[in-house]
Amino acid sequence: MGQEKGYLALMLHAHLPFIKHPEYPDFLEEDWFYEAMVETYLPLLNVFENLTAEGVDFRLTMSVTPPLCNMMSDPMLIERFQRYLNQRVELSSKEIERTQGTEFEAVAHMYYDKFRRFKDLFENVYHCRILEGFKKFQDMGKLEIITCGATHGYLPLMVHKESVNAQVKIAANDYRLRFGKSPRGIWLGECAYNPGDDKFLRDEGIRFFFMESHGVLHGTPRPKYGIYAPVYCPQTGVAAFARDMESAQQVWSAESGYPGDARYREFYRDLGYDLDYDYIKPYLHSDGVRRNIGMKYYKITGKVPLNQKAPYNPKEAREVAAQHAGNFMFNRQKQIEYLSTLMDRKPLVVSMYDAELYGHWWYEGIEFLEYLFKKIYYDQTDIKLVTPMEYLEMYPVNQTVQPSMSSWGDKGYHDVWLNSGNDWIYRHLIKAAERMTDLANRFPNADGLLKRTLNQMARELVLMQSSDWAFLMTTGTAKEYSTKRTKDHIKRFNELYEQVKHNRINEGYVYDLENKDSIFQQIDYNVYSSAAKDKVLNPYK
Amino acid sequence: MEKNLSSAAFHQMRPAAPEEQWDIPQGYGTTESFLLPKDPAWLFLFWEITPETFECARAQYGSVLDQSRTVIRLYDVSGVEYFDGSNANAYYDMPVVFDARSWYIHAPQSGRSYVAELGFLTPQGQFILLTRSNATTLPPGKVSDVIDDKWMSVEGDFIKLLQLSGADRIGLGGSSERMQVMDQRWRLTELAGAGNAPSSTRSSWTSFALHTAPVSQEDEDIWLQADCEIIVYGSASPNALVTINGQEIQLTDGKFSFRRALPAGAVLDLPIKASNKKGDKTRRVHIKAEREQGK
Repeated sequence: MGQEKGYLALMLHAHLPFIKHPEYPDFLEEDWFYEAMVETYLPLLNVFENLTAEGVDFRLTMSVTPPLCNMMSDPMLIERFQRYLNQRVELSSKEIERTQGTEFEAVAHMYYDKFRRFKDLFENVYHCRILEGFKKFQDMGKLEIITCGATHGYLPLMVHKESVNAQVKIAANDYRLRFGKSPRGIWLGECAYNPGDDKFLRDEGIRFFFMESHGVLHGTPRPKYGIYAPVYCPQTGVAAFARDMESAQQVWSAESGYPGDARYREFYRDLGYDLDYDYIKPYLHSDGVRRNIGMKYYKITGKVPLNQKAPYNPKEAREVAAQHAGNFMFNRQKQIEYLSTLMDRKPLVVSMYDAELYGHWWYEGIEFLEYLFKKIYYDQTDIKLVTPMEYLEMYPVNQTVQPSMSSWGDKGYHDVWLNSGNDWIYRHLIKAAERMTDLANRFPNADGLLKRTLNQMARELVLMQSSDWAFLMTTGTAKEYSTKRTKDHIKRFNELYEQVKHNRINEGYVYDLENKDSIFQQIDYNVYSSAAKDKVLNPYK
Repeated sequence: MEKNLSSAAFHQMRPAAPEEQWDIPQGYGTTESFLLPKDPAWLFLFWEITPETFECARAQYGSVLDQSRTVIRLYDVSGVEYFDGSNANAYYDMPVVFDARSWYIHAPQSGRSYVAELGFLTPQGQFILLTRSNATTLPPGKVSDVIDDKWMSVEGDFIKLLQLSGADRIGLGGSSERMQVMDQRWRLTELAGAGNAPSSTRSSWTSFALHTAPVSQEDEDIWLQADCEIIVYGSASPNALVTINGQEIQLTDGKFSFRRALPAGAVLDLPIKASNKKGDKTRRVHIKAEREQGK
């Protein structure tokens, strides 16, 4: 321990649901992945590359969820992403010519330079395997990559513990495959924690997870340090790190948060709507409908209609991002200084965010992070960046507290994932989970086509359990798609169940689903057996 | 914003495949019930009761069922290792329509464990069990009174840490922050006048609830927060078109329900209308709720 007054742990949660539609040459919702790649994941890696080249030491914890790892490794999605990226390079190069001598010249150059850089990074540095990039910084000790439930499943609403166990085990196995070691931490989907589920984490060697602040605040007994030190779960000793609300609100408060600054890029004014139709058409989807294409030339400007926005100035926006990074650091210094007067150990502030907020929603959020890392490294000695494991190595003795059930959703519990708009799904999710365990118990040694069918049933089950569907049904965006996805996986699971039950498995159907819902190539349906769960519950028997 | 575009494209691009004509089942032909936690005050119970189960009960108990009430019996089983139907701490009966197939139950106390049963309550007070749920435990929803004597601290410091930790801001922010921020910006843009982007399709109901801040009061060493939601539920002819305040609401087996936030000072005016296919017959119920501003 050095002269610092306390610690800051930054945590970015990178996640998208598994969306892959090989049955169509071109699919709208796949864009979520391509956009996040070019606006968040590659830009973040670019920041890590820059910092490393400059000799700036940094620490960051990131979840790269199993569905995201699967999409990042999927040959078809990689190929489609390259097509997407090449189109952006091509369009931005045309735009340099078109905007020459206009007020948009600087922003057009910005896009061209960035797209070219990300293309180079993706193809030549990471050989089209972006996980290589994440692994590289993990191996350097600067980035701690943690896992998540297999499909971001919402664990407190799973009645059958075999399903909770399977979400954790499938995820941990996938992590080992991608990163060549066991995960030390996990992000529970939506930070949804149910007391006792930490047993399944411990069984996989997972040492820590993250929670919303009241998960620890409402724990029993009272947490001595509030949320400014982790607590250990009783019996399992898995550490729970709780989120600091002050730093969260500072970034995301709707009124005063950084991303609302008038000089930042306006998200809703997009070239897909602005440019001449024939000129932009080759870069739209095959249906030719105007949509966002991810290139935006205007700044937020103020409370004016979209058609009165002023041109974006990249240099000005970068300076604002630097100011905001300085402000964020200053506030953490003050916060940690004050906290240290109330505590008999150095306080830890845990700031956690959705990764896609940086870059995708808040375009300059990436530069904000880069400036923040640099300022913390060069400009001060009060606070030090740490990963949860580094903190636990410094402070191996922590209070034992049973955390409370909680989530980071609106109102702090399960409302977003369980309300009159989506509660119908649980009848089916719970039934499928029960049937899966029943079959796993009945066929412990299946082989051939039966084994393939049971494995595919396990894939359909984890896909329907993805918490994203219930979330999207509540928010209203993509409600139809998320409803359809839920129903499709339920139907496919039920159909396979009937085929197994009546001993009439249709190999063509199984093959089709293996290709479509291809997540977790290595899945083993036996993780759903009651024996697999009971082994965890009674580890000493 | 993306909803309409994306779904339209989805239908356009999807060929007619056999799978498209299937639907998910209404039930699975098993009498059973499951109890899920929602928040410190609410549970969600859903069930299926097969015709065979009813026939069985009728064969055993006969016409007494006709004079009985149909109820949910909610047991407090906190600290009970194995619940056998008779060893609960307490139980509470509430009337229910079996055909509803699911119900939001207000729990008597947070932080307790519950099991729910569905059955008939005879005029003589006998309870005839049809199905029993799993057990579930609700979160306490407050700071624990239990103090760890190995980890004692100065009380004043603890209270300060508690406030700094955000004890009075629970449930704000959250993963919906992305939605809130973007929604807010979108509204500002919209308010400032129509732009050239497609119109917002966000449901006013959900975003309404999301923008509601709890009423919160703070003092040196005491804090309180409270909020209010309204649940409207009912049933109608299964093929009726039901609207609440002009918005169509989905019926499931002829039942409907929805929750809505009731912020301080708000008046909820909810005219409910059911009409038949032709539209020549209607039934109306008007529900109005008002919450005082409160200080």
